[in-house]
This record gives sequence, C-alpha cells and structure tokens, in this order.
Amino acid sequence: MLMRLSDVDRMFNAMDLLQSRMNRMSSDFGRFRTASPGETAPYSSPATNLYDAGGHLEMKMEVPGISKEDLSIKVQGNYLEVSGKQKADKPEGYTPHRVERGLSSFTRSFTLPTEVDSSKVEAQLSKGLLTIVMPKSEAAQPKQIAIK
Amino acid sequence: MGERTDLVKTENNVPERSREIPAVAPVVDIYENEDEILLYVDMPGVEKDDITLNIDNGKLSLGGVRYISGNGAALWEELVDVEYQRSFSVPQTIDVDKVSAEMQDGVLHLHLPKSEAAKPRQIEIKST
Repeated sequence: MLMRLSDVDRMFNAMDLLQSRMNRMSSDFGRFRTASPGETAPYSSPATNLYDAGGHLEMKMEVPGISKEDLSIKVQGNYLEVSGKQKADKPEGYTPHRVERGLSSFTRSFTLPTEVDSSKVEAQLSKGLLTIVMPKSEAAQPKQIAIK
Repeated sequence: MGERTDLVKTENNVPERSREIPAVAPVVDIYENEDEILLYVDMPGVEKDDITLNIDNGKLSLGGVRYISGNGAALWEELVDVEYQRSFSVPQTIDVDKVSAEMQDGVLHLHLPKSEAAKPRQIEIKST
C-alpha cells in the first residue's frame, strides 16, 4: 500500500514538473517581440500587459524610441486604440553597420473587458514604457454590497 | 499513512526558489563615422541606474534589468521582467575613457569615440 502511494506521488511530482516547464514555455512564447535579436519585424505590434485593479484598468505597452508626440490613444466605450509612429532616428553622417531596430509605425486596438470612462483616461510615457490608466465607467465599477 | 500525506504536503508548501528572470538580447543599431562608433540599443523600461556597461580587452558587455510593475490582476501579460544582455567585440582603437551614453525614450545611445591614432587623416600632397 505504502509503495503504491509513493508511486502515485512520484507520478504527480513528474506531472508538476512538466506543468511548470510548459508554463515557462508559454511565458517565453508571449515575448515574441523581444525574444529574437537580429530578426527585424517591421510589422510587429508592441507587446502589452493589461491589469484589472478593481476601479480601473491599467495597460502597459513597450514603445522604445517613440516620443510622446508620436503616440496617439483613442478610447471609446470598451474600445482602445493605440497608434505610434517611430521617427527615423538614424544619425546624420553615419554609416550603418547593423540595423536591427525596426523603424515602423503601428496601430493596435483592443476590446477592453469593461467600458471605461473616456474622459478620465490618463496616459504616461516613461523610458519607453507607456502606461494607460482607464477608470471603469460607473456601471462597471465594483460595488460594495451592504449585508442587512 | 496520515503521517505520509503530511510529509508530501509540507514538501509542496516549500516556496519556489527565487524567480528566474529571462535573459534577452536587446536589438541594436550600429553606426559609425570618422570620429566614433554609435550604438542604439532598445531597452524599454530599464532605469538608468540599472544599466551596466563594461569594456574590457576589446569586449563590450551591456546589461540591464527591467521590472514591470502593474497594479491589479493581470488579464494578459506579454511583457515580463527581463534581463537584457548582450556583448560585442569592439576594436582596440576605442578611447575607453571617453565613452559616453545617454538614455532616451527607452533607447540607450552609446558613443564609442575612436582614439586619435585611429581617425582617418587627410594627407596633404605636396607639390614639388
């Protein structure tokens, strides 16, 4: 009996190991844009994260080399569209030896899980990371239910 | 038998060892003119103080860690904490003392000036 139980344990441990490997693989898979140096992907859209913080949604987007003047954000209801245009930052009078950084413009649109209050959306650009904070609309706000 | 399940449970409760940060090679552009070699390195989200730069014996190593901190529960995550790492061979003619770098919109601009001896010189042809 004891023997058999330990076998079962061992099997589950092996499965856990497999599971964690798979998780690691899929996390690698998500980083499609940064994972491959040397490969220029001019049409790729920037990687993003989306967080739900109860009262608001927060999006992070990787936009290296794009200044805030060249980014535009549109919000309507639960639709978000971010577009950007990378200026040619090739320095004058230099000979290029290697050009891996894609010079591109992109547009990426999202369907947000809830409606957001477009008048209160705020965006901030810092060190190539764009953060958009979108307060949820009144109807989508979490409500405290008082127990009678 | 009860004891045994306890043992197994405690084993599962052991916290995971320190989370490993995946290492990634950043994309670079390399330019050159008569005075210097110029590198543009995409390192979005890396703080200026988290960048390490080493030039030793003709080898330039670049490194930087960036942490993504979001508020709330992640609905999707394509961006993760990343350690940027890349090294290059640089010619010995680089004037290491004058290397300078600045960060702009998540792009590292690295200037590697050539030493005086390595710069092309205009030779005047004397007429006899």
